[in-house]
Amino acid sequence: MKMKFEKYFRPATLDEALKLVQEYGADCKIVAGGTDVVIRLRSQMLKVQTIVDISAIPELKEVKVTEDKAVIGAALDLMTLSKLPELKNSQWAIIAECAGHVSSTQVRNRATMGGNNVNASPSADTTPGLLISDAVVNVIGPDGARDIAINEFFTGPGKTVLKQGEIVVSFTLPAQDDRCEAAYKKFSIRGDTDIAIVNVGVRLGLNEDGTVKKARVALGGVAPTSMRAVAVEEYLVGKTITEDVIEEAATIARDSIKPISDQRASAEYRKEMVYVYVKHMIREAVAKIG
Amino acid sequence: MSNTSEKNTSYIGKTPIRVDAYDKATGKGLYAADYTKFIPGLLHVRVLRSPVAHCQITKLDVTKAEAIPGVERIFTVERSPFHMERLPEQDRFPINGECIWAGQPIAIIAADTMEHAEDAMNAIELEYTQLPHVIDGFSAMGKNPVSIIDPASGKGDGVIDETNPWAKIGKGATLDSKFSGPNIVGNYILNKGNVEEAMAKADIVVEDSFYNDRRVHCQLERAVSICTYNSDDSITLYGSGCGVHGVIKSAMVNIFDLPETKVRSIQPYIGGSFGNRLNPYVEVLVAMISLFLKKSCMYEYTREEQFTGGPHAWPCLTRVKFGATKDGRVIAQDYDCVEEVGAIQNNISYTGRLSSSGAVCVYDIDNIYMDTAAVVTNLMPVGPYRGLGCPESEFGMECMMNVLADELGMSAVDVRKKNFIKNGGYNGYGEKVTSIGVEKCLEECAKKIDLDTPSVQDGSVWKKGKGCGCGGKQNTPLGRAESIVRYYSDSSVEVLISCDENGMGAMTVMAQIAASELQVPIEKVKVIKGDTVLTPFDNYSASSRTTYTTGNAVKIACAEVMDKLQEAAAREVGVHKSKVVIEGTKARILGSDIEYIELSTLFKNTSPYDQGNWGLMRFSPVEGHGLFCPAPIRSWGSDGLTSRMWNWFQYAACALEVAVNEETGQIKLVQVACSADTGNPINPKMVEGQIEGGVILAAGYDIQEGCTYDEKTGAVKNAGLVDYRVADMTFAPLQENFHSLINPDPLPDGPYGAKGMAESITIGIGPAIAEGVYKAVGVRPTKFPMTAEYILGLIKEKKAKEAQK
Amino acid sequence: MSILDRSIVVSFEVNGKPVELITAPNRTLVEVLREDLGLTGVKQGCDDSNCGVCTVIMDGKAVKSCCVLIGQAEGTKITTIEGLEGENGLHPIQQAFIDHFAIQCGYCTPGMILSAKALLDENPNATEEDIREALHGNICRCTGYKKIVEAIEAARDEINAQA
Repeated sequence: MKMKFEKYFRPATLDEALKLVQEYGADCKIVAGGTDVVIRLRSQMLKVQTIVDISAIPELKEVKVTEDKAVIGAALDLMTLSKLPELKNSQWAIIAECAGHVSSTQVRNRATMGGNNVNASPSADTTPGLLISDAVVNVIGPDGARDIAINEFFTGPGKTVLKQGEIVVSFTLPAQDDRCEAAYKKFSIRGDTDIAIVNVGVRLGLNEDGTVKKARVALGGVAPTSMRAVAVEEYLVGKTITEDVIEEAATIARDSIKPISDQRASAEYRKEMVYVYVKHMIREAVAKIG
Repeated sequence: MSNTSEKNTSYIGKTPIRVDAYDKATGKGLYAADYTKFIPGLLHVRVLRSPVAHCQITKLDVTKAEAIPGVERIFTVERSPFHMERLPEQDRFPINGECIWAGQPIAIIAADTMEHAEDAMNAIELEYTQLPHVIDGFSAMGKNPVSIIDPASGKGDGVIDETNPWAKIGKGATLDSKFSGPNIVGNYILNKGNVEEAMAKADIVVEDSFYNDRRVHCQLERAVSICTYNSDDSITLYGSGCGVHGVIKSAMVNIFDLPETKVRSIQPYIGGSFGNRLNPYVEVLVAMISLFLKKSCMYEYTREEQFTGGPHAWPCLTRVKFGATKDGRVIAQDYDCVEEVGAIQNNISYTGRLSSSGAVCVYDIDNIYMDTAAVVTNLMPVGPYRGLGCPESEFGMECMMNVLADELGMSAVDVRKKNFIKNGGYNGYGEKVTSIGVEKCLEECAKKIDLDTPSVQDGSVWKKGKGCGCGGKQNTPLGRAESIVRYYSDSSVEVLISCDENGMGAMTVMAQIAASELQVPIEKVKVIKGDTVLTPFDNYSASSRTTYTTGNAVKIACAEVMDKLQEAAAREVGVHKSKVVIEGTKARILGSDIEYIELSTLFKNTSPYDQGNWGLMRFSPVEGHGLFCPAPIRSWGSDGLTSRMWNWFQYAACALEVAVNEETGQIKLVQVACSADTGNPINPKMVEGQIEGGVILAAGYDIQEGCTYDEKTGAVKNAGLVDYRVADMTFAPLQENFHSLINPDPLPDGPYGAKGMAESITIGIGPAIAEGVYKAVGVRPTKFPMTAEYILGLIKEKKAKEAQK
Repeated sequence: MSILDRSIVVSFEVNGKPVELITAPNRTLVEVLREDLGLTGVKQGCDDSNCGVCTVIMDGKAVKSCCVLIGQAEGTKITTIEGLEGENGLHPIQQAFIDHFAIQCGYCTPGMILSAKALLDENPNATEEDIREALHGNICRCTGYKKIVEAIEAARDEINAQA
């Protein structure tokens, strides 16, 4: 169908963008890569009068990886991100891995970290990576800048805590402990082309004695938003990872979710796949720690 | 002048590049939607469709919508002056306001821009009361279904159009079928020998039931048609539809009572069809608007509409029971097959006969009882899909052959070899089979992947297993093909044909045939295709008939050209034409002092000194006309037997290895060998392309494709390419593990012994996968798609049973 | 880029030639390429950016032109299938698609070739795995992909031999 918007702006600076989104208010949609927004505009699921395209703002495409944190610009394309050596060789390599599972080459070449998360799809590929990395969403708005913890960012399918006129600038990834590794699985039928049936991210930090110091388990496709499986995390902390512990953790994960049945999979199958892949991801994270 | 004789110029069995490849590799080739750039002022069309599978419309008001500026006209059934009941099944409007499938057209909008047409569609006031629906064949089949579908036939006690010669085939036939509920709209029974007695004598009896989900063709180019209204009140259609003469023009003439000279149908390149375009579902709508408004318009389906408003592939519900001797000879086949055909009204086509044709053409079984039917549901009316029901009907047959082999401890190849029909033998109908290469196909495939050696397991969750399957598919003797071949003074050649080029390479095949027959380099052959005022009659390309039917027509036309060239040369020298042999661009003369004449010298110049009423002339080519039509079929009685029901049969076999993830139920293709009995292949590379494409298309729907439905509305939930999982590149086996083989058994009446092949490829894949799954994880799938979720369910069921023991 | 009341002025480069046009902003790149610039080698096949037939190369990267807004083309360099055939004839990938029978209905072909070009430009030694990864966003319903992969591998070797 025909897109309905009438005005299009392509600001070169963040200040300009902020002014525009304030001026056009609720009738305005921010677009970066467009791989999701344009489809929704074309299906007329999204009807706004004004588009503010933030893809020409250089500072939104910056990436800074240092020892103590990484900052990823919201409008950087996921293909670049997925191949970025300084990220792939860092403690946040999992973010690059997640980005590399978003749909196809052509989509990854356009889609952005900001879009993948602001869309608030419960199956978004990069979100579990952010959740298990305790990422912070850096937002700027009419009232200035604010930081939002990623696990407080989503409120429902397509919904976030972002207020009118706010723009996501970047994602900050805090330093991870030593002996801490992450693993991610997108489970789908056709591979990356598909939207995930479930996705599972696990990050484990181990003490010197091998017991779990810190655990992060994130699940996608099983609830209205991507979510942390806190019950699993709590269970894992302090444990030595054995097959029994892994089994129990996966069982807790499966029993803690209430997914829906849809055209992609039944609720039962989603639960089962969470059970299967929580196990694999725990094993993989532990194996990476070595 | 070169002395090299071109008498051995034969392109048959060779692989010249496709004549359409350059156009397609450069983007220069035009497809229907590309024509819009040449035609200004086209109106745009949208269609408002029923959102639910069954409802009674309580309000339908187009007043506001039609008042939107730019909106030219909105048709509803009440606002149309046309015979709306004549439209193709996919376009039938609600009768008495009752919608019988989700997607049924309710209103057609024509407006100056797409935007206005869409605004109007949204502005139509539609209210309805939902009614109970049945969206699966099993629920529809019973004596008291919650929805009786066909309003056109008076809710199950329908009036048959007696003037239609096909009508008596289906409904109204007085057959003693076990399928007889109010939604059963046709039956066919085949009764050969005595199944009951034979079954009693069998050493072993195996039986199971099978079914499959609905699928959509998903050819990449969506349905599109442009209709121009011309100053002489004629219409010209440019579209992606198949059958410029046999489908599109004939539909226009029959539906709108137009003189045959007032319709021109032109077919540019087509972006795939697989059977989808054999109903003129988009063409009739644009024609209706053009004829009414006397304006030109275009309609291009959205991808979603291909699911809601274009034909689906029909599922088959089958039950297969074999009785066999202990050495593996099947002596009895008891078989049921029900085609689920959707909301077909006043059915004249579907009886179960089409699909079940696959169940009697591969194996030589003395005693067969087939009880078949067609059942209507509140789903999208179906249309043909590559294989015409045979991949669906034979799934159970081939699965049971594998079961029989496993039960008897025999190899799946050996069991089949004991039962294959042999060349010269008879199939289940009593037709003599003159070309059947299935045995060689199967043997070669089995050898290629070492079928009888069990898979090597690697200790991972991916368990491997091998399996095989075969398939036979009838060629429906559908009407005739004609061809005009023109030979010019410079020995360049035009071949005029009206078969479809869906992508299979028909144009190249015809060029190869003409070049070979006329002994000219293929580069000198130009194929002109698909324009009803220029190119001669052809029904359409369906049932893998093109190489056979149109190919024969081209060959015959070339023979006429050769005859005329011989005669012209003979006259020039003064011998009888039987003493002239055409060798490339020369005629060799027997019995004269003149040994050779250059053919080009036979063509006189266009000058006042040379002109005359006889003989050949430059720019006025020697023209041959070819017409080929298969022999007519012979009607059958209540036992369904006849010596000619179809034409020839194409065969294929496949052996493959799958890996099954025992934790997720996913199936992956590890290696595939697939072989076609093509008769003698005209272009082996294009045959390989058909094999590879057929394997992936079929494996795709065997494993992961299929429509899912919203129980509440009865609408397709995955109507798009996001969740309708068409196989992508990663689905195919790695190059070195993907083998396409050709094992021909020449067809006596085919051109050079060739026959069609592209449908049978799809048949054996599913059963081979099912057997591979069994060998891998010990469960037997009985339906497709064999989705991960379904397979995991079977694995869990098996584990639960084992735990009980 | 100038922003007029209901229109925008967009400047970009298509197949090596500068283009400047005034257009309503609510259009996608594929619409403009096909309707305004007549580049009908760019196809459209779905509503949801899953088929890949609209693939073009934008600043060296394969993108689906159905989900690029025309305004986003500002300042970019775009290559469509029409821009591949040079003075010396067909691009090696085009030639390989022809020679290896990687074309059937042809509807996916322009997108396939462009995705392959973007891949080989970036990674001249792309393996079969790389090809599968780079092209799984291009659906083909006819060929079963084998001859497409074969053609791309042949083109890769041809290009490397020329270099």
